Amino acid sequence: MIWNSKDEVLGPGETRTRQRQRRQIFYIGVAALFGGVIGFSTGFFDEGTGSLFSGDWENIKLPPALALGLVVLLLGGFLVLPLWGFRMIDDYKREHNFIGFTGGCVSVLAGYPIWAVLYAGGFAPPPHAFGIFGIAYVSMILAFLYARWRL
Amino acid sequence: MKNRLKVLRAERDWSQAELAGRLDVSRQAVNAIETGKHDPSLPLAFRIARLFDMRIEEIFDNGDPA
Repeated sequence: MIWNSKDEVLGPGETRTRQRQRRQIFYIGVAALFGGVIGFSTGFFDEGTGSLFSGDWENIKLPPALALGLVVLLLGGFLVLPLWGFRMIDDYKREHNFIGFTGGCVSVLAGYPIWAVLYAGGFAPPPHAFGIFGIAYVSMILAFLYARWRL
Repeated sequence: MKNRLKVLRAERDWSQAELAGRLDVSRQAVNAIETGKHDPSLPLAFRIARLFDMRIEEIFDNGDPA
């Protein structure tokens, strides 16, 4: 419960903590909204037969105006929001984020050549950009969750 | 690193959220420092010391002999 009842007396520290929690909820809400709009738009208005997951880029097609709108949302979701969030968090949570980013980065550094070698050996389809993005994103989240669990 | 944060907080009858707000950090950070899972940065250690009107080494002990 974040909001206090009317007769509850809060110290100055409690008040600031609750403000911080409200900002976090707002941040998560905006991020979820951006993600939802991006996911829904790309799924619902997709005019092509391609798939990001299979690396079939030539057959991916979106209305140009929607594509530009999604660029704005993606810049907001992957650049502005994280940078704003980074300013809000303290040292402790920043450490979690650093571990998360490190996990994402080293996974790409290791994952791309491993994928390429597996492709060369006939074990996997050729590496593609969205797959690399997926490796970075998923491993970043896993590393972040590990840091939250352990630290 | 050992510290007396929990004791000092209890002496003032502050919750973790109250202390966190006064230090401008998250409640989770206070909990992590109290349980020894996280060592605060130097600026935060100074803020903690100022808040309790003590020296840093009176609050934190890294185990080294004086």
